[in-house]
Formats: sequence, C-alpha cells, structure tokens
Amino acid sequence: MSTVTTPTVTAPAPATAATAPAAPARTRKRRRRAPNLLTYAVLFLISFIIVVPLLWMLLTSFKTDFDAISSPASPWPNPFTTEAYGTLATGNLPILRWFANSVIAATAQTAIILVTASAAAYALARLEFRGKKIVFGAIVATLLVPGVVFLIPNYLIVDSFGWLDSLWAIIVPGSAGAFGVFFLRQFFISLPNEIEEAARVDGAGDFRIFWQIILPLSRPALATLAVLSFLTNWNDFIWPIYVLLSPENLTLQPGLSVLQGTYSTHFGIVMAGAVIASVPVLILFTLAQKQIVESVASSGVKG
Amino acid sequence: MADPAIVTRPGGGLRPRRAAAGRRTLTAYLFLAPFLVIFAVFVVFPAVYGLWISLHVWNPLLDDHPFVGLQNFFDLFTPGSLTFEDFWESMGATGIFVVASVPFLLAIPLGIAVLLNRKIKGGSVFRGIFFAPYVLGVAVVSVLWRYLLDPQLGVVNAVLGLLGLPSDIPWTVDVPWAWISLVGITVWWTLGLNTVILLAGLKGINPDLYEAASLDGAGAWRKFTSVTLPGLRPVMTFVVTVTLLASANMFGQSFLITQGGPGTATRTAIMYIANQGLVQNQMGAATAMSYLLFAFLAVVSVLNFRLQRDNTK
Amino acid sequence: MKNPTLRAAAAVAILGLGVSLAACSGGSTSASSDSVRADAEYSGPAVDITFWNGWTGGAAPVLVPKLVAEFNETHPDINVKSNAMEWADISQKMPLAIKAGKGPDVAVAHGDDVATYAAQGLLLKTDDVVDALGYKESDFPEGLMAAGQFDGDQYGVPWSVTPLGLYINKDVLAKAGLDPETVPTDAESYLAALEALKAAGIQGEWADGYVFTGTFEFESLLWQFGGDLFNEDVTEATFNSEAGVKALTWMTDLIKNGYSPANVAQDGNINALIGSETAFNWNGVWQTTNEALQSVSWTAVPVPQIGTEKAVWSSSTHWMFPANKNQDPDKSAAAATFVKWMNDNSADWASTGELPAQNTVREDPGLLETYPALAPFLEQLEYAHYETVAPGITNAMAEVTTGVNEAMLGKKSPKEALDDAAEKATQLLKQNKAQYGG
Repeated sequence: MSTVTTPTVTAPAPATAATAPAAPARTRKRRRRAPNLLTYAVLFLISFIIVVPLLWMLLTSFKTDFDAISSPASPWPNPFTTEAYGTLATGNLPILRWFANSVIAATAQTAIILVTASAAAYALARLEFRGKKIVFGAIVATLLVPGVVFLIPNYLIVDSFGWLDSLWAIIVPGSAGAFGVFFLRQFFISLPNEIEEAARVDGAGDFRIFWQIILPLSRPALATLAVLSFLTNWNDFIWPIYVLLSPENLTLQPGLSVLQGTYSTHFGIVMAGAVIASVPVLILFTLAQKQIVESVASSGVKG
Repeated sequence: MADPAIVTRPGGGLRPRRAAAGRRTLTAYLFLAPFLVIFAVFVVFPAVYGLWISLHVWNPLLDDHPFVGLQNFFDLFTPGSLTFEDFWESMGATGIFVVASVPFLLAIPLGIAVLLNRKIKGGSVFRGIFFAPYVLGVAVVSVLWRYLLDPQLGVVNAVLGLLGLPSDIPWTVDVPWAWISLVGITVWWTLGLNTVILLAGLKGINPDLYEAASLDGAGAWRKFTSVTLPGLRPVMTFVVTVTLLASANMFGQSFLITQGGPGTATRTAIMYIANQGLVQNQMGAATAMSYLLFAFLAVVSVLNFRLQRDNTK
Repeated sequence: MKNPTLRAAAAVAILGLGVSLAACSGGSTSASSDSVRADAEYSGPAVDITFWNGWTGGAAPVLVPKLVAEFNETHPDINVKSNAMEWADISQKMPLAIKAGKGPDVAVAHGDDVATYAAQGLLLKTDDVVDALGYKESDFPEGLMAAGQFDGDQYGVPWSVTPLGLYINKDVLAKAGLDPETVPTDAESYLAALEALKAAGIQGEWADGYVFTGTFEFESLLWQFGGDLFNEDVTEATFNSEAGVKALTWMTDLIKNGYSPANVAQDGNINALIGSETAFNWNGVWQTTNEALQSVSWTAVPVPQIGTEKAVWSSSTHWMFPANKNQDPDKSAAAATFVKWMNDNSADWASTGELPAQNTVREDPGLLETYPALAPFLEQLEYAHYETVAPGITNAMAEVTTGVNEAMLGKKSPKEALDDAAEKATQLLKQNKAQYGG
C-alpha cells in the first residue's frame, strides 16, 4: 500500500503547457541567463552535500566497530577491514533476499497498475456508459484520502486472505490507487480523436483500438506511471513493517530497519548493510537515469 | 475538461442504438473490471469497514468487539481520556513537521531548478546526483543519517567540535534539534524529486515572455515573480499538493531516526495511529483517529486548492 | 439486475460481507487441546517447526544456530528453524501473527509478556511440559515460575535471568588517579568516586532516559528506596511515590552535578565506557559478551546500594508455545522436545551473557570457573526484582520510560514526569483489566 497518495489536481491548462511548442518559423536563440560561477558553485555545493554522506557510508562500512565509534571525525578506516561484510554474510539477515523481494514486489505491482489503470482510464476517457459519473466520482473521491485510513482495515482484510507475511500483501492492495487511473485518463483525453475515429470507421472494436492504437501512443505516460509506481512501492515503509513478519520475507525498507535494530550502534555493520542495499539500486539508476528522471519530470507537467 | 468521445454510428433506429449502448456499457465495465475489483476490495470496502471498526472497541486478539457508537471519537475530544493527549500531541507533531518541511521542500528544489534551467554543462549529471537519494529509499537514508547525526558518535558533531562550535548538539535526541534533523533529512532525501518536476515546468515556460519582460526593463527578481512563478502555477499546484500530503504522512524518518522521541515529541499522527491499532491492539480508537486525520487533511487540501484557484484569477 | 452499476455494487457488498465475516470470526483455534503434549521422546511424524527469539546480539547469534543444528542432527524427525529478531519486533508482530496462523511453534519472550499473551489466548498451557521436565517452583529463583502463570495455569517455562550490574572502566579510574580496583558499594563511596572523576575532568556516569539503561537504573533505585512500580493487585501505578521521586531525582542530579552530560543518546553510555570517556555504566549482564568492550580494561560488580535496601532490576526469559490458528499438535509436541533438550544442554548458555534460570545449572561451580565475569551478577540474584506479572503490563511500563526520558531531558521535574506517567499508566491498567481480566 502506497504511503503517498499522489493526486493530480486539475488546474486550468496554461498556454505554455509541456506539449512541445510548435517549432517557430524563424530560428530562435534560446536566451537563458548565461551561467556564472555562482551557479556552478551552488550546484557543486549541493552535489557535495549529497555525495559526501554516501561516500562516508561506504567508508564506514570498512571500519571496525571500535573504530567507527571512537573516531567519528575521520572518514578513513583504520584499520581497513571487511569484517562488517563478513558478519553480515554469516549472520542471519538476508539482505540480498530483501533486495530481491523489493524488486519482485515493486515490479509486480507496477505491472498490475499499468494493466488495470490503463484499461480503466481508457473506459473513463473514451467510452460512454451508464454509471460513468458515479464510477469516476468514486475514484476521484479517494484521491485525497490518506493511506492511514486504509491501514488497519486492510490489515484485517489481508489477514483474512492469508496473505500476511507474504509478498501478495505488498503487491495487490496498493495496486488500486486512483492516481494511475486519473493520470492516464488525463493523458488519453489529450490524445487527438482522429486516429481513433478512423480506426472505428475501419471496423476496429474497442479492445483493438485500446491495444493497438491508444497504448502505443501513450508510451511516455505509461513510462512515467511505471517509474512513479515502482518508486512508490520501493519506498513503502509503514505497510511492510506491519504486514511482513519472518526475516526472509521482508522487503528492503523494513529489512534495513531490522538491521539497524539488530546491530544498533555497531555502525560499521549497519553501514555495510546500507551499502549492500544501495549499490544495486545505484547501478540500475545510473544506467537508466535519463529515462527515469525524464519520466518523473513529465508527471507534474502532464498533471 | 471531460471530452466524451462522441462516436457516430451509421444507421439509425432506436432499438439498435439502445442495444449498442448496452453493449458499450458492458465493454466499458469489462475494461474497468480488473481495476474496480481491486479498488472495491482494497479501497472502497476498507474505507467503510474502517468506519465500522471505529464504532467498536475492537481488539483483534479478542473475540468480543463491543459496539460503543461514537465513543472513540468523543474520547479524542475529551481531555483526560486515554487517547486525547497522545493523539493531539501526535497531530501537533505532524503539524510541526508539515509547517517546517513544506516551505523548504518547495523553495530549495525551486531554487535548484532555476539554476539547472540555465545553460550549464552537465545538467543531466547534476539532476541524476540530486535524484539519487530518493531512489535509495527512506530506510537507507534514515539509517545513514541516524549515524551521521549521532550526538556522541556521529561525524556532524565531531566536525562542529573541530570548528570550535558546540559539539554536543542532540540532533536525534531532543527537540527542537530533532525537528531540524528530520526536516533536513527529508529535504536531502526528496529534493531531487521536486527539483526534476519543477525543472520540467520551467522548461515549459515560453522564453519569449522573458524577453518581453527584459525589454520592459524588468530585473531578475521581477522576471521571476511575473514570468516564472505564474508560468509554473499548474506544476506548482501539483508539487505543493503532493508535498503537503507526503509530509503529513511522514513515518519512516521518525520511526528510524528518533523513534518518535524524545518521549513522544516527534511521534507523528500516522505513527501513533499505527501503534494504537497494530501494536496496542486498539483498532477502534485507531480507525477513529485516522478518520479525524483525514478530515483535517481534506480541509487543508481544499484550502490549498482554493488558494491556488484564487491566485490564478 | 440489468444495471451494471447496481450489479457491481452488489458484488462488492457480497464480497465485503464475506470478508468481514471471515475477519470477525478469526478468533477460535481448532487445536484439539489447549495444552502442549509432552512426550518423553517425540514419536510423531516428521515436522518442521519455527522458533522465534530475540537473541540478536552478543554471542547468541553464533551459539543458537550451533545448538539448533546439533538438535536437528540428533532428531531426524524434527527440523527447527530459528528466527532471531529484535525483542521489540517480536512483541509487536507475534500476537497478530499467531492469530493469523503465521506465528512460530515455540518462542522465547520476557517475563512481562507471558501473562499478556496467555490472556490474549495466544499460548498453549505447559503444565504437562513442566511435569515432564520435572520442574518445581523451588528449582528457580523465587517468583520465576509464577511469572509464567495466568489465571492459575502455567504457560511459560523459565529459561534465563538477566540482572543489571555496574560496569567499570578501570583505565578511566586510573586516569583520574583512583585505584582501579575501587568498587563503590553505596551512595557515599559512589559519589566520592564520581566527585574524584569530576575533579579530573571526567563525567563518571552517563545517565540516559532510554529503556535498556535509564529505565532499568530507575527501577533499581526505586526498589532500593523502598518503593514499587505498582500496587499489589496491579490496578494502580505507584512509581511516582516518594521513593520514585527520590530515585529519579538521584539520576537527574547526576546531570545537574556534572557527573553526566545532558542528552545522552541511546547506547551512548556503553559506547562512552568503551571509548574510555566515562568510568561507570549501569547495564545488563548481556554486555559481558560485547566484543567492543573487550578492548578496554573492564570489570563488573553489583550495583551500588544507593537507597535503603539492596535491590536490582532483572529480567527473565521464558519458553512458550503459541496457539496458532490451526496449530498442529505434533508441531507443539516436537517443540516441547526441543525445549526439553535445550534445557538439558544449557550448560553453555552462560556464554551468551544470560544466566540460566535453573538453580542447579547456575549454582554449579563449573559455571563460574568458565565464566568468572558472571560472578557479581549471580551474587545479586538474591535481591533481584523481576517483572510485574499482569496481562498488558508492557503498555503501562512504556509510560515509565516516557516519564524517565522526559525528566532526564529536563523537560519536566522528576515529580511532574512521574506523576504524569503514573496517571497514564493507571488508566492503561484499568483498560487492561477491562479487556483481559486477570
């Protein structure tokens, strides 16, 4: 279940919306303010603030427990040791398993969201049917309801399905968020009608149109929704904390909480665990960075 | 804003049209069905079920759930009841965090976005770096900063000491420092998200407007207030709403860094509700509280929406 | 119904009704008996059983898997899977897990949990197991068997006790010009040592308001000053009595008089002891196995008697057998065999920094030979106080920690903090009584 209900609020579409402005007749020099030293200085400073703690985390993971406690001001391990990683490897906290669980859960939930939300959004955007207003109204009404309202009842519901302590509880309940439907509906509405009408004249049925016309045209929006949904599930903390029980069924976020609780001020070990949890993510992110960031960027603008 | 797809069908006659409408409805519900099923079970039903639970004293470990009507709600407004003080303290904590964090979560990303919007080299590298903490996840971020800010063992205080400043600031142990820590960490964690969205919004502002303003003799600040901000309005609305709700739902940072401490001073409403319902097993009281929180947030969201609406006029 | 909207609504309603009925009726167990079968030797079919415990620190995470592996090898019909998680996690998750049928088949928990779980219908009775093991009340420290009882039935089997002690960093004492063999035994000698340390620029005892050190120190002092946490029938909190205020004031005075810094973070004190920044730390016997501690010259002694009586806080752990939904009686019987075996093979348990509860195991001279560091802790058992036994007591105890924390941070005076906490605790006790009886 998502901790963040991310609604889009319909506001009057500005004249300068994100849909790429038609190329002007004459070439235009985009005169943005010329960057000066101050700009770079600030950007570097912020990068510094972000990167240094992460480096510190990495370096601390190579310290002994004693070293981590007794010389906090020095980043350099003295002595340099991999004993923290060794402890984790022989301990019974399956960090890599947690990582896998998170990947499985986030991927599965994203898949369900993409399928169900796009179909539902299509119906709401393109089809006329009885009860449309009621259904749409009901969905919109839930946009502003905070997740905590659903926390306890869903716990009982999930329990009655026998899903406690299983990834099903992490995958299914949160996949019915109104945001996805709302977001895609906005997008579908913005698609021009002509292609669809042409297809209908050719005799294509609703499903054909949805599958072969609408969806391919919606790739950017689907990508955005996919990335946002994945990150939301990845970052989910409060729901898995209460719903997952056995150590090997945890996802990454509650798992790290258990790690911290177990090793408390054995900071070398805690940092090593955090590093193990971060490295695969950072690798994936670096590879797909441009797509991810741009997908997220367009979420606000399409909204 | 709804643009119903008007489909013209060849041929006339009442009967075929009604049959077509019926088929159309069936098709529509087939499209909606997968979503609606999950939605009904995990969104609509729990919303109602939660209300039902809030009317009882509901301990999931016991079989008897006596009906108490609105007592759980009354208790929240009755000083001296078991839940009154703790609930309002937690609501206060949520309020403090929202008020303290949202301005920074908007201003700092906006500033960075403005800088990134200039013609700079390596813009996408910067963007990637700023976004990285969000991808790491709330637990990694919290666990890391819990260490860095440890009053006795963390590097922040150690460095302050080296600089001759007080080196015993209780970042994670006492208020108001704990609030500063929580806000700072949240900004560090999520600034990339808002920055990226705002940057896209900035890129969508027509540069001609800036030129026109220059020709009018407007300085940098004037351009910012009369071109940038209005141009960002819709994106800003989105970002403000999302940030407000996210801050009101803050759980992970408090849970991992301050454990709601000192005492219960940084225990947010969500933490308290989850604890009451799933650890203390008082589900009736907890669900009642969640509805009260919902009411508060609804009011805030409506106000926010109105404000944005009014500003557009 | 032709109208699809109505049809959908009806489907939701029916689905919802079904789900709610299932959720509401989830309480009854279908176990054939509510006692654990205690066969002399397990003779049922091959089973896998899960075992939850909170032994995540010290030597336990190495010893427990070793013991479990040995048991599994010598008992081909039983496969024990041990899950170690934080104690707080267990008390948070286990109750609902058991109700959902996903709890363990055997678990270890603290003395103040047993009555609560029993009252919540989460445990099987252990009278038969206790008989099979041949245990009597007198086999354990006074009051320990009773801690595992609720409503006249036995639900727990005592396993270990863990009292507080005074840890001393001898290097720091030497640095301050004190004889490193100094052992403060009462208020006078303790304060003298603190004063000497202060003169040498050292803050001798870092006092905090967290549960594992601050609260336990407070409770020890409360009993030393003649007070008690709750009244006889556990209906009222009494820790805000004069004794309680004296106890908490003594701790806040440590900060006031400069013997302790303010705002000590969690685990700040033991880490300061390890870092040779402080000399004394009131901490549990489990710290004797803290590896980082071994790098300094340390010793442990009984806590000084600050008040008018000898008293010290101690906790206890007990075996218990969860009554999961649809609990398999064979699994419980296998678990009982496991417990019996663990008890018989518990000679090495002292290496985890916990004291075996069984008197004979503890009083065996061989124990002290192998683990001399435990001597001062064993000494204290004579006058150790264990947890209060009442269902739901842990939520009232949480108020004690809140009160201690607020006073130690200077937010409220000791009297105010304790009064507020006691008021809350009493309300919680009332709620507990209403819900659980007993």
